[in-house]
Amino acid sequence: MAPTPQWVKELKPSGPQGHELLKQERAKSKLPVEQLSQFLFTRGGLERKHGILAILEKEKVFYKSQNYFAGRVDRFETALARAKRLRQLTVQHGWSVEDFRAATELISEPGPYGLHESMFLITLRDQGTPQQREKFYKPALNYEIIGCYAQTELGHGSNVRGLETTATWNAEDQTFTIHSPHLTASKWWIGSLGRTANHAVVMAQLVIAGRSHGPHPFVVQIRDLKTHEPLENIHIGDIGPKFGYNTMDNGFLLFNNVKIPHFNMLARFSSVDPQTNRYMRPSSPSLVYGTLTWVRSTIVMQAGGVLARGVTIATRYCAVRRQFQDRDAPEWEKGENQVLNYTMVQIRLLTLLAATYALHFTGKGMMQLYETNQNKMSQDVGQVGSAQRGAGPEETHSGSDLLADLHATSCGLKSLASTIAAEGLETCRRACGGHGYSSFSGIGPWFADYLPTTTWEGDNYMLSQQVARYLLKSARSVMKGEKPTNDTTQILSNFLAKSDIGAAFDVLGRDEDIVAAFAWRTAFLTFEALKHRDEQKKAWNDLLVDFYRLSRAHSQYLVVKNFYETLQSPSLTAELDPETVTVMYKLFRLHSLHTLENEASEFYTSSAVTVRQIQLARTSAVMRLLEELRPHAVRLVDAWDFPDWQLDSSLGRYDGKVYEDMFYRASEQNPLNAITVDPYPDSPVLFKKNDSAQFKSKL
Amino acid sequence: MADYLVDEMSPYHLQMSMFVTTIREQGDEAQRNHWLPQIEAWKIIGAYAQTEQGHGSNVRGLELQARWDPKKKEFELHSPTLTASKWWNGALGRTATHAIVVAQLLLPQIQTPSIDAADDAEPRYVSHGPHPFVVRIRDQDTHQPLPGIVVGDIGPKYGYTSMDNGYMLFNHFRVPHAAMLARYSRVDPETSAFQRTGSSAVVYGSLTNVRANIIMHARLVLARAVTIAVRYCSIRRQFKDRDALDTESIPETVVLDYPTVMIRVLPLLATTFALHYTGEAMYELYRRSRESIEGGDFGSLAELHSTSSGLKSLCTMYAADGIEICRRAMGGHGFGGGSGLVQINADYLSKPTVEGDNWMITQQVSNYLIKKMTAAVEEPHMESKDALSDHFRRYLKQRTTARPQEVITSNGTIDDTALVEAFKWRAATLSYQAYQQRIVQKQRWNTLLISLHKLSRAYSESILVTNFHSALQNSPLSEPTRSTMRDLFHLYALHTIDSDARTFQTTGALSAVVLDAIPDRVLDIMTQKVRPHAVKLVDSWAIPDYLLDSALGRYDGKVYEELFQKAHRENPLNRVTFNVDWRSSEIVKGDKDSEARILAKL
Ligand SMILES: Cc1cc2nc3c(=O)[nH]c(=O)nc-3n(C[C@H](O)[C@H](O)[C@H](O)COP(=O)(O)OP(=O)(O)OC[C@H]3O[C@@H](n4cnc5c(N)ncnc54)[C@H](O)[C@@H]3O)c2cc1C
Ligand SMILES: Cc1cc2nc3c(=O)[nH]c(=O)nc-3n(C[C@H](O)[C@H](O)[C@H](O)COP(=O)(O)OP(=O)(O)OC[C@H]3O[C@@H](n4cnc5c(N)ncnc54)[C@H](O)[C@@H]3O)c2cc1C
Repeated sequence: MAPTPQWVKELKPSGPQGHELLKQERAKSKLPVEQLSQFLFTRGGLERKHGILAILEKEKVFYKSQNYFAGRVDRFETALARAKRLRQLTVQHGWSVEDFRAATELISEPGPYGLHESMFLITLRDQGTPQQREKFYKPALNYEIIGCYAQTELGHGSNVRGLETTATWNAEDQTFTIHSPHLTASKWWIGSLGRTANHAVVMAQLVIAGRSHGPHPFVVQIRDLKTHEPLENIHIGDIGPKFGYNTMDNGFLLFNNVKIPHFNMLARFSSVDPQTNRYMRPSSPSLVYGTLTWVRSTIVMQAGGVLARGVTIATRYCAVRRQFQDRDAPEWEKGENQVLNYTMVQIRLLTLLAATYALHFTGKGMMQLYETNQNKMSQDVGQVGSAQRGAGPEETHSGSDLLADLHATSCGLKSLASTIAAEGLETCRRACGGHGYSSFSGIGPWFADYLPTTTWEGDNYMLSQQVARYLLKSARSVMKGEKPTNDTTQILSNFLAKSDIGAAFDVLGRDEDIVAAFAWRTAFLTFEALKHRDEQKKAWNDLLVDFYRLSRAHSQYLVVKNFYETLQSPSLTAELDPETVTVMYKLFRLHSLHTLENEASEFYTSSAVTVRQIQLARTSAVMRLLEELRPHAVRLVDAWDFPDWQLDSSLGRYDGKVYEDMFYRASEQNPLNAITVDPYPDSPVLFKKNDSAQFKSKL
Repeated sequence: MADYLVDEMSPYHLQMSMFVTTIREQGDEAQRNHWLPQIEAWKIIGAYAQTEQGHGSNVRGLELQARWDPKKKEFELHSPTLTASKWWNGALGRTATHAIVVAQLLLPQIQTPSIDAADDAEPRYVSHGPHPFVVRIRDQDTHQPLPGIVVGDIGPKYGYTSMDNGYMLFNHFRVPHAAMLARYSRVDPETSAFQRTGSSAVVYGSLTNVRANIIMHARLVLARAVTIAVRYCSIRRQFKDRDALDTESIPETVVLDYPTVMIRVLPLLATTFALHYTGEAMYELYRRSRESIEGGDFGSLAELHSTSSGLKSLCTMYAADGIEICRRAMGGHGFGGGSGLVQINADYLSKPTVEGDNWMITQQVSNYLIKKMTAAVEEPHMESKDALSDHFRRYLKQRTTARPQEVITSNGTIDDTALVEAFKWRAATLSYQAYQQRIVQKQRWNTLLISLHKLSRAYSESILVTNFHSALQNSPLSEPTRSTMRDLFHLYALHTIDSDARTFQTTGALSAVVLDAIPDRVLDIMTQKVRPHAVKLVDSWAIPDYLLDSALGRYDGKVYEELFQKAHRENPLNRVTFNVDWRSSEIVKGDKDSEARILAKL
């Protein structure tokens, strides 16, 4: 490729320059960015991140410049090299789990050890007996064996009880035979399985003497530890390219009557007695659900940050991007308008900016709830009347049961938070216009990797049924006159007590009334659903759409409530100065009122608000909040403290040098430009010249 | 057709669309005679280079200069800044030999002799706005850029991988007088004066054509996604019915039978038909206005332009969001390469932005509606020249006395005419409100943008509903197809109402009682009327398996076999065995240099 001519190197973007515009933006607001970052992440958290960043930046293997250009095989190879290096660094620096997580967040691509480091280890730890932990968990911790978590099959994902892989107990030699009877029994989607893992936790139907006891976890070695080739009668591979997640080798796996010893069934909660050949029931099935709840809670926890990346990029870019003059601008303000000044752009971006804060505080609340529950469970061990419990949390007690509340909350919030984050990222990308479509925007690839979160750990639509089930149970207990024992039963009782009188919430005047209006709508929808199910005896399946709406309403209430409670907490006023606190309140109102307006119909039907209030919410309240928050926009995204290295985005650069960066990547880093084509259709030659190999090695 | 079936953005795409259309519509006779035969013989390959790094939406803000040199009678193309670099232009990066380059036309100011003027001083230049030039950019033999031009590919994108969207900078590059396309405006080579020979609005003509095509295309894109989702979801089974008495012997439920799956997929199925009928109507509109423009009458241009803008925005949004909704409705397998929706989704996502950003262009629609409403208010008794003005005048007469439409009658049947009226009433009321805010109260345009966006959408929805309805009226279809079409019409209309119910109430188009009844009605139409025919309805779009390129959407339903085939046999990653030991610098087994090889590329 011809070297870049001097006259091109000397060109500058037309003024005002991006860095000047961002400087102006930062001057418009006095928000103390550092203080706010500390409030969000703690000083320790920030120091950790920057310390680790300093280490990673120096390592060539983590250079990101070719990420957007490389094809799948190249990307996977690089991802494996990175995963190894990360492990080496972890050992070398003695990194803690938090350090390690901070590092993966900075690198931000799924890696080939991903499922080993998460579900494989967690399952061995939580579901293995002490002997099994010794045998499997310990070597796994040291990466002597590398594993994955193989539950989903070609034919079944959501319905775990429908899995087809069998583990048949052989009494004569005290082994299990793992077998895939159909093509649809093939394990599928399993992260780290395709090319990496040599072990798997396999979920299979336990069959004893012809009788099935449902899916159970088994540890199976699947590849030779030396040659890394699949073992005999095991067929493994990568399932091919996907929408995103292409640095991960999601795999398939088939068994042809493979025998494993009795020891390999993870037996902490249930097992087969080798003497009597009898199945031993789970002692406390709810403990099994602990892992799931934890995973969902982390999804909720991360959703705010996931979205904030897109919002940071789009907000900074839209402050640099200028297009058209304001129609009503006076003569002397002739320049083009920053697109962030258009209310059409603000209604998309500033509302999402508010959502990032709402989700962050909700995530924190969710984690606290999880920890409270863990503490309580460890106190309660032995007391829980486990015998009456069936297999799933849907059969646990209602109302007072913290676990049921935790389970429902984690389902509903996982569904809502990951939907907001995924859809919000796409909104951010589109808000950037044409340049949003470039990979260099950094939003598209990030979005593509995030999307499966809406499907895994419970499909977002399906999960809503769990929330509805819990709310219906709670409503039944309230109807029976049982005393409220938690917030859910409390809001339901309030509603029941006042439903005849009606409510008059001053949502435009009082913040606590906003929260109350959200609670009211949830309660209204809950009793409506109850009427359909219990009085009108409607089929469960006919109510699914209502349930989805109910779950969404309830989760939106939880987000609004968490945000409001954070504002009320003493730590807020202690750590933030009054002006910042005021801005936080405005973000709260923007998020709540915008949500209210989008769901206007339900708020109106439940009589929580009047049509007039809904109209005013949009035409005056939301519009005013957009205007008041606009000057703080750039500082509010700065507070999320994403290093440029992590964003890897031309549009989202901290210094606003958008155009220079885009041009540099296109002209200096782009291997396609080392190819000269023959353009004429009747010529059989495709490439006249191809210097791309040299080009790459030159970099 | 072949292009449609291969379904990949070909590097030649622009040649056959914008490049040739622009020359045909904006070149004068000599230019057409010169260029068109060369294009048809593929002796030259073209790109359309309008957008720059700094400007896309605001075409008047383009920075590339075309400075007229009266002495040499040439134009000099020059990029004064980095942001003046052409950007995003399809086929420009590696393929094109020529490009239509849109640049600011700079002409020397006609000098009024003044006393103290130094005679040979540089003339002052004034801009006459952006104009198109045809420029050779690469050498015919070597295919290298000509001296003074720097051109390349802009790098990887969300989709459109098979297209070389490019950048291009000019350094005092000279082109002859004939390069400027001169059908509607030209520079007099003798006097250097600027001459206009027609309405400049005509320039928007070809853009409108492109937009009409986008709508026709949107329907096919959405139909593809819906075909795949309907077929796969009627094969995929998950869970047994929890209300069933005998759970042992029944099979698992087909996921398309779950209302939470239906509510996502079936309204989109109805939307494909709504788009189909409006696409046809748009073509007709385009054809008619084109005729009158060729005959010198530019009157219909404004309507064509605004209608096409609003519909472009709404229809591409339907299709873009619809693909993603379908993809997610398919759970895990929807995320996989075998879904057939990965590439189409990524490629299609450019559409909400190109040819007028979907948010931005809705202002043009609302602007037009406000003008029409103003005219209707100011001259209520004038005879209306078009259907919209007529509707606005009727609306103004009934505004204070009208009562909401009873679209669902007491015996439960749906009144189709009333349904259409409700949509039109809502659009008219919102237009009237916008008129009040902007013209009467003189509110700032910027504070109105969000309402204007909603107005454009409401108006475009009313067009879709109206066209769907009149197509049913004149439909040659026989029973039972006819009643199923009517069910789809109801599904589209009622679901659209339900998604924005309260504006129907606040504008007085529908009553709260009707609105509260709609969700159940939608569910009813889906489960009772549409669900049984869903597979046949998507079959009627007759999209071949080759085009779908989807394991999940296969006509014969061999979903799982095909998924496995693709993963197992067609996947290059499975030919590589890796060394996964974290201590080892060997990444690929047996390839000792693999780490060095990988690092060299970074
Ligand atoms: C990138 C990626 C990585 C993954 N990694 C792993 C892994 O490491 N290990 C592993 O075991 N699995 C993994 N999975 C699988 C994942 O957990 C499943 O895909 C997920 O649980 C969804 O299940 P499904 O694909 O069967 O969806 P389906 O259940 O087939 O969903 C299809 C549609 O049916 C609907 N539906 C299903 N049941 C109901 C119902 N009862 N009521 C109403 N609607 C219903 C859903 O809403 C959805 O719209 C991964 C998936 C992806 C995409
Ligand atoms: C895949 C692809 C192919 C393309 N091919 C070509 C090609 O062949 N030739 C060519 O010349 N161009 C091409 N383009 C460029 C394309 O036409 C522009 O990207 C498009 O017109 C959008 O302009 P923009 O990028 O300047 O968006 P911007 O205007 O920068 O949009 C940024 C944001 O500002 C908002 N905004 C802008 N103005 C206003 C306003 N007045 N009021 C309210 N909001 C506003 C928008 O809604 C958007 O959210 C292509 C683009 C893509 C993505």
